[in-house]
Amino acid sequence: MSGLAGAVLFVVLAPVAGGLLVGADRVVTARMQGRVGPPLLQPFYDVGKLLEKEARQVNPVAEPLLLGHLAFMALTGALVLGGVDLLFTVFVFALAALCLVLAAGSVASPFSHAGAERELIVLLATEPFFILMLAAVCKVTGASTFAGVLASPVAVAEELPGVLLAFLFVATVKLRKSPFDIAASHHPHQELVSGLTSDMSGRLLAYVHLAHWYETALLAVFVVLFFNRSVPLGLAVFLLAYAVEILVDNSTSRAKWELVLRSSWAVTLLFSGGNVLAVFLLGR
Amino acid sequence: MAAATAGPGSLLPALTVFLVAFPLLAGVVLLFTTAPSVRNVIVVGASTVVALASVAAAVAFGNGADVFYGLPGDASPQTAIFIAEVAIALFVIGIGLHYRRFLAPALALAQLAIAIWLQVGGHEPAPDPSRLFWFDRLAMVLVLIVGIIGPLICIHALGYMRDYQRSYPLIRGRRTAFFFLLFLFLSSMFGLVLSNDLPLMLVFWEITTLCSFLLIGYTRTPETIGYAFRALNMNLLGGLGFSIAIVLLSGRPGGLDLARLTAQPAGAVLLPAIALLALAGLTKSAQMPFSSWLIGAMYAPTPTSALLHSSTMVKAGVFLLLRLAPAMAGTEVGTLVAFVGLLTFLFVSLVAVTEQNTKKVLAYSTIANLGLIAGCAGIATPQTVWVGVMIVVFHAVAKSLLFLVVGTLENRLYTKDMEHFDGLLSRMRRVSILALTGIAGMFVAPFGIVIAKWSAIRAFIEVPGWEGAACLLIMAFGSALTIFYWGKMLLKVLSTRAVDPGERALEERVSGFEWFSETAHAAGVVGVAALVGVISERVVGPYALGAFHAAPRTFLDVSPAMLVVLLASVLFLPALGFWAWRRRDYDQADFYASGRQAGADRVVGAALGGTREITLRNYYLEGVVDGGLVFRVGTAVCALVLAAMVVVPAVVRA
Repeated sequence: MSGLAGAVLFVVLAPVAGGLLVGADRVVTARMQGRVGPPLLQPFYDVGKLLEKEARQVNPVAEPLLLGHLAFMALTGALVLGGVDLLFTVFVFALAALCLVLAAGSVASPFSHAGAERELIVLLATEPFFILMLAAVCKVTGASTFAGVLASPVAVAEELPGVLLAFLFVATVKLRKSPFDIAASHHPHQELVSGLTSDMSGRLLAYVHLAHWYETALLAVFVVLFFNRSVPLGLAVFLLAYAVEILVDNSTSRAKWELVLRSSWAVTLLFSGGNVLAVFLLGR
Repeated sequence: MAAATAGPGSLLPALTVFLVAFPLLAGVVLLFTTAPSVRNVIVVGASTVVALASVAAAVAFGNGADVFYGLPGDASPQTAIFIAEVAIALFVIGIGLHYRRFLAPALALAQLAIAIWLQVGGHEPAPDPSRLFWFDRLAMVLVLIVGIIGPLICIHALGYMRDYQRSYPLIRGRRTAFFFLLFLFLSSMFGLVLSNDLPLMLVFWEITTLCSFLLIGYTRTPETIGYAFRALNMNLLGGLGFSIAIVLLSGRPGGLDLARLTAQPAGAVLLPAIALLALAGLTKSAQMPFSSWLIGAMYAPTPTSALLHSSTMVKAGVFLLLRLAPAMAGTEVGTLVAFVGLLTFLFVSLVAVTEQNTKKVLAYSTIANLGLIAGCAGIATPQTVWVGVMIVVFHAVAKSLLFLVVGTLENRLYTKDMEHFDGLLSRMRRVSILALTGIAGMFVAPFGIVIAKWSAIRAFIEVPGWEGAACLLIMAFGSALTIFYWGKMLLKVLSTRAVDPGERALEERVSGFEWFSETAHAAGVVGVAALVGVISERVVGPYALGAFHAAPRTFLDVSPAMLVVLLASVLFLPALGFWAWRRRDYDQADFYASGRQAGADRVVGAALGGTREITLRNYYLEGVVDGGLVFRVGTAVCALVLAAMVVVPAVVRA
């Protein structure tokens, strides 16, 4: 039953870890900008407050879709840790992202709609990578589940350095960090206002935050796949990478969607594609 | 191959004759039926009989060992085949000369010359009268698809054509021909999937080509005539390849027996013929470089697109490829077929994201799925063949439903442009729920096609060398593109807006025939999803293992956790539609419009006074992806691969 335990653990702990990370992100960002910033637990206060507020329902489909977004995102992580075939989880992951797109796109607001379309482009930009990454991990380890990868004697990062590099790039896109924050913005003074979430309020917005925490935790789990010989090392690499993300987030301005799409595909094709090709040619 | 000859009491020979003869007879009666009320009765009655007969054939077969049989009384069809070949060729030559198009007559003439040389010259061995037909699990799957989805589409056409003729009043009289062609097509399709004798199969093959040609050119405008001839030319080219393959195989004892031909990997001697048969399969399935005919075919009335150009006729191509898979296993031909299919999947998916015409998006998606099946057939392992057949089943039901829904929308909204479908859930609720079911069946529902894609990726991991890496890359990018264009379509269906009662009343004018057919299809999408385990382990799995003489194994390795997820997500979108329907008086707050007043009617105050209406459009990746360019590049690349496929085995043999 270790699979079930892992799944439950993810569902319970992932939002805590994800929320803390976002809190730390806000503190560090504030310091970088010469501000004191909010307390570490601010994201939890925010979500608590949002859950209490009355939600303005713009249409009847947004709430079920956002609940679907949250549920499928939590489910993806639960399935990964629960020992379900890794390649299968990537489709649930995509479904989760699609729910958010549909929730935002169902609103007649041009800002929401633009955010939805751009999130769809983010999905288009990142999905090939995730499929390829999980296929490559399964290929080099000969395993098909999370536990199987951890038990494998093969050090994944040594076999797939190109895929790992590409992951760091694609994760920036997936986390909607600048310069790739094309679909939504934390700073609602730009052309997008806040994009995807423009018309979400109250508990609807809380679902989006919670799902984002799950997503962040899930990306950490993916990094652990690369450092399967040592889980702490994997988590440490993830935290280091996240710190770099914050720096990049604060020092770049938003790119156009064309650049996001082109660069993600180019990185996926060159780094992971090249790496995967090498793995297949070397007959592993 | 576990071969068993049908016992004397078997019903299969009689049922086969019935499945071919009865729709033909019904079609001829319909050709002379002008009264709509009489036509309705005949079409519904004949459709019911065809569906029952196809189920009866599946029951008589009993899902067991392969059955080979001939005509009742062991009659020889050789003369009839020859007469049919001559008639088809003369028809093509006649109609080609009439419209001053000369390529099709030339191709038909070449085929006619081959037929005369084979028959009159006595070069073709007489077929074994006890092995004319081959009923196995794959044939059963196809018989059920043709026999259940086909009649449902015919019933739908009763409603669709009534409205269609209102838009094209000048061609009202041709409706008799339309229904004749639909039933003629069903007849030939049954013959095609059951034939074991290659010359017999070729006759049915060419009749489906002619049906497609005549239905595309139904309105007889210069535009549709052009597209009809394009389809005819490409399919006749494939047919010519088929004929030459028959010539190459005629010299060999049992060479024209499909089951014997494909029982094991083809040696160097047989490979050129296998390559030519594969060429025929690729043209019929509209794989690049032949994809343009299927896009042109979208100008045919929509039931045609549902029946011929998504659920059945184009499946005949991949059906042949799947049949050939054991012969292609491990050969250059197999690898090259796989890459034609997979590259087509990638290229047309990329084109689909730039397309705004809903029917064309569905057409590209059809070509993409057929490409995936062709890829699986070419890689030719039990696992990939399993994937291929599973996609055949799930795609047939879901895509047919989507085409029919688009047909209904087209007659109500007078457009096929995706951009005009926004707020569909607010405007046409029942149609929207049907559309959501179809889209879920295509790509959200992890039962079905997503399961198949997942299994395909699993299978490709095992493919050694650069080919494996290439397959994975193609799958990764192709799948992402698929999500993008279906996502855009979902955005349009799910977006909400204020509608007036007039718009809501649009739905009331949809005919009962269309409702019945589309609801039955939607039930089918859910049904095949619910029965995925049975379909996989009792039918498709045993077929794939039997074709390769492989050791028993399970294919659908689904854990209980996965099953729960699958059930949740297959029902998610349709349930969402119902939810929104029930909540019709949901409190709709104003949306955000930079602080200006904006309501559900999408009108905002403009900056300098007055009002502006907000219009929302999807992204079509302008500036990043040039659909036309991608299509041309794909066509060129696949043409090269295809040329290699035909030439390499011939050179190796020489």
